[in-house]
Amino acid sequence: MSFVCALSCGKFIVTAEISPPKGTDTSRMNRDADLLKGIVDAVNVTDNQRAVMRMSPLAACSLIQGKGIETIMHITCRDRNRLALQSDIIGAYAIGIRNLLVMSGDHPIKGDHEGAKPVYDVDSVQLLGILRKLNEGVDFAGNDLAGRTDLYVGAVTNTELNEAGFIKLKKKIQMGASFFQTQAVFDAKNFSGFMEKVNRIRSKNVKIIAGIIPLKSQRSAEFLNKVPGIKVPEDIVRNMNDSKNSEAQGMEIAARIIKEIRPMCDGIHIMPVGNHDNTKTILEMADLI
Amino acid sequence: MIISRQKEFDEILQLLTEKNIFVIGCGKCAKKQHTGGEPEVLDLKEKLKAAGKNITGWTVLSSTCSIISWGDVLAQNPAIRKSDALLIMSCGGGVSVISRYAGMSVYPALDTESLGGVCCNEIVTQLCGMCGDCTVWQYGGICPITQCPKSLLNGPCGGAVEGKCEVDERLCAWDLIFERLKQLGKLENLETIHEPKDHTKKFRGNKV
Repeated sequence: MSFVCALSCGKFIVTAEISPPKGTDTSRMNRDADLLKGIVDAVNVTDNQRAVMRMSPLAACSLIQGKGIETIMHITCRDRNRLALQSDIIGAYAIGIRNLLVMSGDHPIKGDHEGAKPVYDVDSVQLLGILRKLNEGVDFAGNDLAGRTDLYVGAVTNTELNEAGFIKLKKKIQMGASFFQTQAVFDAKNFSGFMEKVNRIRSKNVKIIAGIIPLKSQRSAEFLNKVPGIKVPEDIVRNMNDSKNSEAQGMEIAARIIKEIRPMCDGIHIMPVGNHDNTKTILEMADLI
Repeated sequence: MIISRQKEFDEILQLLTEKNIFVIGCGKCAKKQHTGGEPEVLDLKEKLKAAGKNITGWTVLSSTCSIISWGDVLAQNPAIRKSDALLIMSCGGGVSVISRYAGMSVYPALDTESLGGVCCNEIVTQLCGMCGDCTVWQYGGICPITQCPKSLLNGPCGGAVEGKCEVDERLCAWDLIFERLKQLGKLENLETIHEPKDHTKKFRGNKV
């Protein structure tokens, strides 16, 4: 069943994130893809995440889809102007990519090419508008396309939003975002507050997929607390500190959070620190497979 | 006001391959910011002398980007004729005007940063992106093109931590826009979906 069908028929979705390699050696990426085959509904492929230069997600998606795994291609506004975005999107559709996740993208100054020109010709709301046009068979400038796209398009959101952030979330829905992938969730109660707010403005066709980062150590918990949009509660940091096997503890915490938030949202998205060696076990612990 | 900062002295010295140098400051923006007024010109002159350069003369034009004519500048400053190069302590606009008319080597001593302003001695930077299509009123007078490092027109990214931009210590421009619009009673402006900018307006003017 395709990702879009699974989501629209109400199945609780599981997706997982893979980073393309920094270089041409695809062995680690392929290994991760093999670990995920059959246990997730789709694999997200990141786009120079954290502004660190890596293989194009277009190429990486093509390689992963060649294994019979559906992908969700990330596309940021950081590196391409409206021409390049549209041509990559059309190309992605032509090679069989059916799902896109749109985001502004971390500023180049955060990555490994600090001096790069930040493009941001369009923002995520505007890119959603462009995608709507491409799905209708016209480009941004209004020219007819010889063959339209039929892409299922999502966007990202933090779960702790200020008012301006929440208005932007509404705009993304207005511009056709069909699903949202959230920043990592560590606090089910806070997440429930976020969902209450979102439920007031979304139709049932707008799906929410909660981000999950299995912690590996106390240090990773402390590091994540510095990442925008992520808050690891004190008791979880303490649990990680007290544990003799922090990796196992992190997996237990992830499985617990998944169980707690499952009734509130439409799916989860696993973003591991490192590889996917533990993803299957976490999904088993959370009764998802 | 054009916001500028002085280049590192070593960088200036590397630019100047010529021996006889005439230094020109600017009596407008660079003077106000203390990057290219008389004290800065004199200071740089002394440093260049100490580094072995022959300073043929110096002046502070009332406005480097807006001169009556090059002939007028030459008439006021005959020492320029005995110089191999001009070192300009002004924004890129001033350097370009002088370069266009002087017919000799011209070097910038400043780096131009942004279009800003000054009030009560407070210098404010990055106020206008000169996009050729001003919509700043929709954002309560705070331009997201320059105040937000991603120039986001439809609201904040998810990168701010406790109100601080992900790029540096600045406050998130979208928090400032929100507060200003709230104060003005125009929060409904935030609901507007802004189309991508028409960049032809930056260099071609408004379409007829």
